[in-house]
Amino acid sequence: MTRTIDLGLLFSTTGPYRLMGQASRAGALKAIAQVNADPALDVAFTAVERDPGGDIDAYAPLCEEILKSSGARHVIGCTTSWSRKEVIPSLERMGGVLWYPTPYEGFEASDRVVYAHACPNQHLLPLLDHSFAAFGRRLYLTGSNYIWGWEMNRIAREVSARAGADVLGERYVPTGSTDIARLIDEIAALKPDFVLNQLIGPSQYAFLDAMAELRARDAAFAGGRCPVLSCNMTEAELPAIGASAEGVISAGPWFRGQSPALPGNGGGEDFGSSLEAAANASVMMLARLLSGTARSESLSLPELLALPGASAVGISARTHHVTLPVAIAQVRNGVFVPVRVYDPIEADPYLTQVHTRMAQPLMRVVK
Amino acid sequence: MRRRLSIPDLGGASAVILHRPHVTVTALTRQLQAVGLQVECFWPELPASARAADYLFIDVDTAHDDQFPWEPGEAPLPTIALIGSEAPGRIEWLMNFGADAQILKPVGDNGVYSALLIARATFDARLGLAGEIDALRRRLGQRQTVVQAVALLAARGKTEDEAYEQLRSMAMAWRVSFEDAAARIVSSVNGPRDARQPEGRDNV
Repeated sequence: MTRTIDLGLLFSTTGPYRLMGQASRAGALKAIAQVNADPALDVAFTAVERDPGGDIDAYAPLCEEILKSSGARHVIGCTTSWSRKEVIPSLERMGGVLWYPTPYEGFEASDRVVYAHACPNQHLLPLLDHSFAAFGRRLYLTGSNYIWGWEMNRIAREVSARAGADVLGERYVPTGSTDIARLIDEIAALKPDFVLNQLIGPSQYAFLDAMAELRARDAAFAGGRCPVLSCNMTEAELPAIGASAEGVISAGPWFRGQSPALPGNGGGEDFGSSLEAAANASVMMLARLLSGTARSESLSLPELLALPGASAVGISARTHHVTLPVAIAQVRNGVFVPVRVYDPIEADPYLTQVHTRMAQPLMRVVK
Repeated sequence: MRRRLSIPDLGGASAVILHRPHVTVTALTRQLQAVGLQVECFWPELPASARAADYLFIDVDTAHDDQFPWEPGEAPLPTIALIGSEAPGRIEWLMNFGADAQILKPVGDNGVYSALLIARATFDARLGLAGEIDALRRRLGQRQTVVQAVALLAARGKTEDEAYEQLRSMAMAWRVSFEDAAARIVSSVNGPRDARQPEGRDNV
């Protein structure tokens, strides 16, 4: 007998980062359709949706509304770390679980959250490892003025110090600001080997436009020199960035065209970006955990992860993070082309495991 | 002063919890294991082997001095206080016992990682300061020796300032501290019996 279970979706499909929210939502809806059509699973989902519209203060009330007004105990949602941290108290109070399908900066392992996208040892560390070898050891750090940028750049400083690399400069831009002239001036003067860019939204778009102009007028930045790196850029944002995205190098668990997609996708590959794939995998993994056990929807996350067969789903019972493949890809002619692909790496959210020496890449495409 | 946090090696580090079996212990253990630590729980007494651990969590609500194989204020490892009751008597006990960080009970979903970082930094700073204070105390204790040495050198027809300078250059030439150089001069005059002045706080 198939049980139909309410499933919360909490993505901002309007507002400043709607492109990312829309990608996540599309992946979750695709998975719900897939689960509902799968006779091998004894659960089906009904989506209970709310759209916080990118308003940070709307997340917790809307999350509570989902948990109160429906039978949903699991919510797939949130794009930013800030919003995730806002909803955790609500989850604790109301006995909910959040499936967070977006890359983040690590240093968290809530009992109430599944972290279904990459953390720093799955994006930043491999990306720096690759870049020190490919471009050099003089880097410039920039980011939006909030936790993602601060923490990612702090890790980058630490890794650089250990690798004997030189951080030439570090500058932050208020979120939403497009005033990046000083940043560009500094980069133009310092001529680093690469720029680690943790800017988000309009600041990143303005920065990439300005870098494209710099490349056009200064030969030191032409011909692929001084590439811009990202740990969260996916295909979802490419239409908004346009031609200025050319040459950007990003790290993520999957890029369009790679086969297979994420371990949790159960064979599905038809996704627009890793954001879509990770939200899809979240719903698929949840269905696999719930299926086959009566009243499993009322179990807590630790109880679900302790069920027989749960370990095969791929979520660590210790950290609630997911083992993910790692790809480093560059935008060439408007699409991400994988440059390096690594075997799946276990998430290490507190960077406490011995992994500083990266595994050898599976493949290396030399242009 | 701006401090740059040096993040301790937490992977495989060991934490000891002194607390009766309780959901607090379960929540703490989960968080510690998620960070990557090995956890051991003891109740009601802490074995001497706990000294070898990297972190200690204590239950301020129920703790008393006899549970610990060391004197109050002399914990040999970073200590994190779990505070439930805020009754002043308990806080007074904690102030005497000493802790490097604290977590308020009930322990929920977070708080442990920051407590580990703060406890390690505070503990290291505390050890560093204690070492510095010891060294300063020793030097203070040797004040009398310095005065004697300067007087001995001045007795050979120098002004006090010149004698002081001479002592400084001797210390540099011998590559010893100013105080050690003074002790050598005094002992060379007084004979080996008085070669070393009593050191430490008794002499302050």
